[in-house]
Amino acid sequence: MIKDITIGQYYKAESVLHKCDPRTKLLLTIAFVVVIFLCKNFYSLALMAALTVIAMLISKVPVKMFLKSMKPILPLILLTAVLNIFYNTGGEILLSFWKITIRDKAVFTAIFIAIRIFCLIIVSSLLTYTTTPTMLTDGIEKLLKPLDFILKPTSFRVHTLAMMMTLALRFIPTLIEEIDKIMNAQKARGADLESGSIMQRAKALIPIIIPLFVSSFRRAYELAFAMDCRCYTGGDGRTRMKQMRFTYRDLLVFFVFALIFAGIIVLNIKFLPVI
Amino acid sequence: MSEEFIKFENVSFRYENAEDEPELPLALKNINITVNKGELVAVLGHNGSGKSTLAKLTNAILVPESGKVTVLGMDTADEELKYEIRRKVGMVFQNPDNQIVATIVEDDVAFGPENLGVEPSEIRKRVDSALKAVEMYEKRLAEPHNLSGGQKQRVAIAGILAMETDGIVFDEPTAMLDPRGRQAVMDTILKINKEQGKTVMFITHFMDEAVLADRVIVVNNGEIMTDGTPEEVFSDIQKLKDVGLDVPQARELQFRLSENGISFENNVLLEDDCVEAIKKLF
Amino acid sequence: MNVLSVRGLTHVYGQGTSSEAVALNNCSFDIEKGELVGIIGHTGSGKSTLIQHFNGLLKPTSGQVLLNGKDINESKESIVQSRFKIGLCFQYPEYQLFEETVAKDIAFGPKNMKLDEKEINRRVLQCIEYVGLDKSYLDKSPFDLSGGEKRRVAIAGVMAMEPEILVLDEPTAGLDPKGRDTIFGLIREYREKTGSTVIVVSHSMEDVAKLATKALVMNKGTVAMYGSIDDVYSRADELVTMGLNVPQITRIFMKLKAEGLPICGNIYTVEQGVNEIIRLKKEGYSL
Repeated sequence: MIKDITIGQYYKAESVLHKCDPRTKLLLTIAFVVVIFLCKNFYSLALMAALTVIAMLISKVPVKMFLKSMKPILPLILLTAVLNIFYNTGGEILLSFWKITIRDKAVFTAIFIAIRIFCLIIVSSLLTYTTTPTMLTDGIEKLLKPLDFILKPTSFRVHTLAMMMTLALRFIPTLIEEIDKIMNAQKARGADLESGSIMQRAKALIPIIIPLFVSSFRRAYELAFAMDCRCYTGGDGRTRMKQMRFTYRDLLVFFVFALIFAGIIVLNIKFLPVI
Repeated sequence: MSEEFIKFENVSFRYENAEDEPELPLALKNINITVNKGELVAVLGHNGSGKSTLAKLTNAILVPESGKVTVLGMDTADEELKYEIRRKVGMVFQNPDNQIVATIVEDDVAFGPENLGVEPSEIRKRVDSALKAVEMYEKRLAEPHNLSGGQKQRVAIAGILAMETDGIVFDEPTAMLDPRGRQAVMDTILKINKEQGKTVMFITHFMDEAVLADRVIVVNNGEIMTDGTPEEVFSDIQKLKDVGLDVPQARELQFRLSENGISFENNVLLEDDCVEAIKKLF
Repeated sequence: MNVLSVRGLTHVYGQGTSSEAVALNNCSFDIEKGELVGIIGHTGSGKSTLIQHFNGLLKPTSGQVLLNGKDINESKESIVQSRFKIGLCFQYPEYQLFEETVAKDIAFGPKNMKLDEKEINRRVLQCIEYVGLDKSYLDKSPFDLSGGEKRRVAIAGVMAMEPEILVLDEPTAGLDPKGRDTIFGLIREYREKTGSTVIVVSHSMEDVAKLATKALVMNKGTVAMYGSIDDVYSRADELVTMGLNVPQITRIFMKLKAEGLPICGNIYTVEQGVNEIIRLKKEGYSL
C-alpha cells in the first residue's frame, strides 16, 4: 500500500554505525566520496571496496537491502561501462571485429567505474540505513551551524533549513496519500490520466494539481498556527531532547578511517594509475 | 472562590474583509465568559456559529475587535505576553495531520518543550509521561503517517501536555475522526481534566460529547445562547433543535414520555441514568 | 432486478510482499435497482476498498463485480463506462474541486463523457437544483463557498454524470447535525426524482437507519450482515461488538432487555421507544 513507504529508509538495528554521532557519519561519507574519486589504481580501489564491505557487514543491515537500493541504478552502471568500452581509445587492442575495437584499458576503466559507483551507493545507503531522518537533519544543522555567521545580515538561519527538511520529510507521505485520493476522485469523474498526447496528459494533470495546491496551502497555514501555538519562534533559545554526543566511539571510527584513507593515498602514489 | 483562568469581557470580533468587499458581520457579539481553573467546559454550536472563533481568541491567535480576553489576568491583545499566554493555554486543532511536525512520534511530543528551552533530561521525562497519559507510549517510535486519525490526535494532545500548560483548548478535536477515534480522544480529554486537573475547554458540534462536560456553553449566531450544566442546557429541547443541534435521545425519550403523562424523577442525559429512570417506572 | 452484483470478491493489498494484507475476503451480494443501501463498517473493515471496486478503480484479486449482469473489468472500455454508470463520490469530496466556476466543475464529469454542450448545460442546471443551491452559485468560484456548500457542489459534480448507481462515501463526515440533515434530505429527494440506486457508506448505524432501505455491514473484510434495517437491528449486540455506533436509544433498550424487561422488537428510534414504554405501562408490567 502507498501508506507503507518509509522515508529515509532507516533500518533499525544495534550496531556501532547506528550508535555513531550523525555528524561523524556525514563527514566520513563526504570524505569517502572525495577519496574514492582520488583513487587512480586497482590497489587503492580494492582497499576502498574492502572498507565498504566491512562497513556494510558491521552495520547489521541485511545485504538484501543494499542489493535492493542498487537495482534501479544497475542500467546506468551498465550503460556507463558500455560507453566506456566503445569510446576509450587507450591501451592494447583486445578484440576487434566489424567497426568495433575493444582495448584493455577500456575494459579496466569500465570495471573501475562500476566498482566505484557500487561503493558510492552502498556507502550513501549506509548513511540513511543507520541514521534516522531526524538525526540526519540534526547532524546537518549542527555541521552547517557556522554558516549562520555569514547569514547574519539575513533572517534566514541554518536552523530554518533543517526545520524545512524535517517538515518536508514529515509531509511527503501525507501528500503522496493525498495525491492518490485526488487522482481516484477525478478518475471517478471519468478523468483520463493515462492516454493522449503529451499536451493532453499535461492538461489532464490540472484537476489534480490545483486541489493539491489548495490543500497544501491550507495545511501550511494550519501547521503554522499549530507551531506558533506550541511557542515555536525559530532556532534561538531552543533545546533538544536528543542530544548528539561525540564519544570515544566516534573518535575511534574517525581514527580508523583516517588511517585507511591515508593508506589509500599512499597506494595511489606508489602504483601507476589505471585511469 | 475558584481562580479565574480565561475571561472574556464584552468581546466582539469580526474577520477582516477582502479589499474591495464590504465589511463582514461580527463573528462574535458581546461575549462574556469566565472559565475557572479546573473546569471542563464544552462549547457547542453548529458550523459558522462562531464557536471556533471563540477558541482562537483564548490564546491570542485572534485578538478581539472590542472588549478584552485575559488568561490569568494577562491581556491577549498585548503582543509581549503572547508566548507567556501560550505557556498557560495550549491548543489542539481539528485536523490531526496538520499539527504534527516531526517524523517520529516522540520527537513531535518533544517539539513544544524544546521551544520553551526545557533541559533535555526534563524533556525526556515529560515526553514519556505525556505519551503514557494519552496511551501512546507503545507507539513512541512510530512514524505519524502510519497512525490512525485518533492516534495522531492523541499524539497532538501529548505534545501540549508535555508543555505543561495549565489548560488546553480543543478546537473540534473529534470532527474528522471515526467513532473509535472519537471515543479514544474524548476519554483522553476527560482523563486529563479529572486526573491531571487541567482546565479544559472543548469545541464541538456533537451533543453526546457536550453532555460529558461539567458546563456547556451553546453559541449561536456569534452570541451565547445558554451557559450552564448539561442538565440545564438540554432541558429545552426545542430551543436546541431550532438552532440545528441534536439533543440526547435519552432526554428526548423523557420529553416525549412526559407528553404522554409518564414522567421520570430527574432529567436524564446519559444512557445509564435513563435505564435506571425507566426501571423505576415499573 | 439486480443492478449490481458482487461475486466472491477478494482483494489483497501488496500481494507477495511482506506487507500483504487481505482487505476483502470472498464478498458476495446483490443490490436491486432503486434500492438505497447503507454500507456500514468501521475504519479498516474494507468498505472503502469495496466501493473502489464498483467502478474499477481497484482490480479484484479474485471475484467479479457485475453491473447489469456484465463484468465491469471485462475490457478497458467497460471500465471507463463503469466510471460513468457508477458515480463514486469520495469522503470530503470538496477537496476535489478545481475549476474557476461551480458550473465548470459540475461539468467536468459530463465533459469527460464527451456529451454535447447543450446536454452538459442541462445537466449542470439540473444538478445544482438537486443539491438545493441557487442558480446564482453557478458563476461563483467554488473556493469562495462555505464548507457545506462546497460539499454539495462536489456531490452535484458526480450526479451530473447521471449514473445508474450513486455511491457516496461518508457524505456527512465533519458536518454538524444541520448539515448532515440537509445532505440526507437531498440524497432522499434525488432518489425519489431520478429513481436511481443509491449506496451510502457510513460509520453510523444511526445515520443509515435514518436514510436507507437496506443495510450491509462490513467487518474484517467480509459481509457480516445484509438485510433490511430491522433485520440488522435485531442483531444490534453484534454491531456493538464490531465497534459500530448504534443509537443511544438502542443501547438503552438493549440494557433494559438485559435487566429483564420484556422488550418486544427492535428499538432504533425515539418513537419506537416511547411506544414500547407506553405498551409496557398499559399491560401493567412491573419488575
